[in-house]
Amino acid sequence: MINNTLRFGFIFILLILFQVLLFNNIQFSGYVNPYVYIMFILLLPVELPAWLLLILSFLTGLVIDFFSGSLGMHTASSVLAGFVRPYVLQILSPRDGYEPGSEPSMIIYGFRWFLIYTLIIVLIHHTALFYLEVFRFTEFFRTLLRVLLSSLFSVTFILLIEHFRKGR
Amino acid sequence: MRNLINFLLKYNSLIIFLILEGVAFYLIGSDNSYHNSRIIKGVRGLTTGIERRASSVRTYFILREINQTLASENIYLRNRIEQLEKKENQLFFYVSDSINQQQYHYLSAEVIDNSVNRQKNYFTLNKGVKHGLTVDMAVTSGDAVAGVIVGCSENFSVVMSLLNLDFRLSARIKSNGYFGSLTWDGRDYSHATLSEIPQHLTINPGDTIETTGYSAIFPEGMMVGTISGFEKTGSDFYKITVFLSADFKKLHFVNVIGNLKKTEQLELEKQFQ
Repeated sequence: MINNTLRFGFIFILLILFQVLLFNNIQFSGYVNPYVYIMFILLLPVELPAWLLLILSFLTGLVIDFFSGSLGMHTASSVLAGFVRPYVLQILSPRDGYEPGSEPSMIIYGFRWFLIYTLIIVLIHHTALFYLEVFRFTEFFRTLLRVLLSSLFSVTFILLIEHFRKGR
Repeated sequence: MRNLINFLLKYNSLIIFLILEGVAFYLIGSDNSYHNSRIIKGVRGLTTGIERRASSVRTYFILREINQTLASENIYLRNRIEQLEKKENQLFFYVSDSINQQQYHYLSAEVIDNSVNRQKNYFTLNKGVKHGLTVDMAVTSGDAVAGVIVGCSENFSVVMSLLNLDFRLSARIKSNGYFGSLTWDGRDYSHATLSEIPQHLTINPGDTIETTGYSAIFPEGMMVGTISGFEKTGSDFYKITVFLSADFKKLHFVNVIGNLKKTEQLELEKQFQ
């Protein structure tokens, strides 16, 4: 248990640093802005109680908000992602259920499963985030394009990180 | 009572979700005005340390461009000296004459945190009160308008970017001298809108837009941008689209301009309002 807490603390700090120092500086033409910190919410154990998941998502968003100077936006969308995660896991559950005590990872449940899982949550998170940022629907399709392109990049980076994590 | 407890237990995650979202939206709401969010100010001191390190790495990759802009600015200043020297040879005056006192003083600063993709963009400078910066000083990139300082701490300053829905600038068309108000509409980081120009004028795309100096913040004749298009609105005014000279995506070294005679001007103006 303590071992797990330490491990996730480490992952948390690593992902935040990745996001703040590397990915926040990637802004191709004002459209694409990958957000990989959401991976922390993806990786938490399957059996984690919903309330703890929500509070951890809240904290993740809050820290990112402080670093990007946009109070509240990342918090709101991360909490939404944390809220839908149990439902997504339920829909995607394998025929014989999840292994007790396991984490949603590529190594246990396969590439295809992990891709779909990541894609759904990243899309929900990015949609909330980008629409909250512009805060209006007048340029609906422009924002939608930003959501789709950024999601594409985020998912790619998350899969890459997961791949190297697996290899270790 | 038991029903209520059962209800709470059954939907506990939904309730926590709603509470946390409520907090998040409250934070979004309170972030609207820079001065309202005191929490962020405190934490900013912590995060700017990291930002500064990251920015020093980033500078390495754009050194070439920085050199080019500095070189072109040097040429411009050399030409300017040439012009002024000629003038000075013709006139002659006491150096200590108070009429010829300098009105604006210039400082240079580095941008260590910047954004262009929000609706209300701010950027952070690496200098503060200790280096002589104060609120309401003008910030320019090369010769082009970039923003106005809205908050200073000991070592840092926060600048309201021109790319901010709350930013207003008094600007005029250089060729005919008609002035209007320049705002940003929150869409494109390279364009802004100039309004209040009467419709009886002919507008030529490509004309220069410069500052008027009425606000006592920006000196007169600073570059803002060039006209890239215009349309007639229902009222008697044009809506002119201005292509901004400052490239906000590349903002790195900026000039900060302080007006030494600002208090004098404002006090005099106050008497007649």
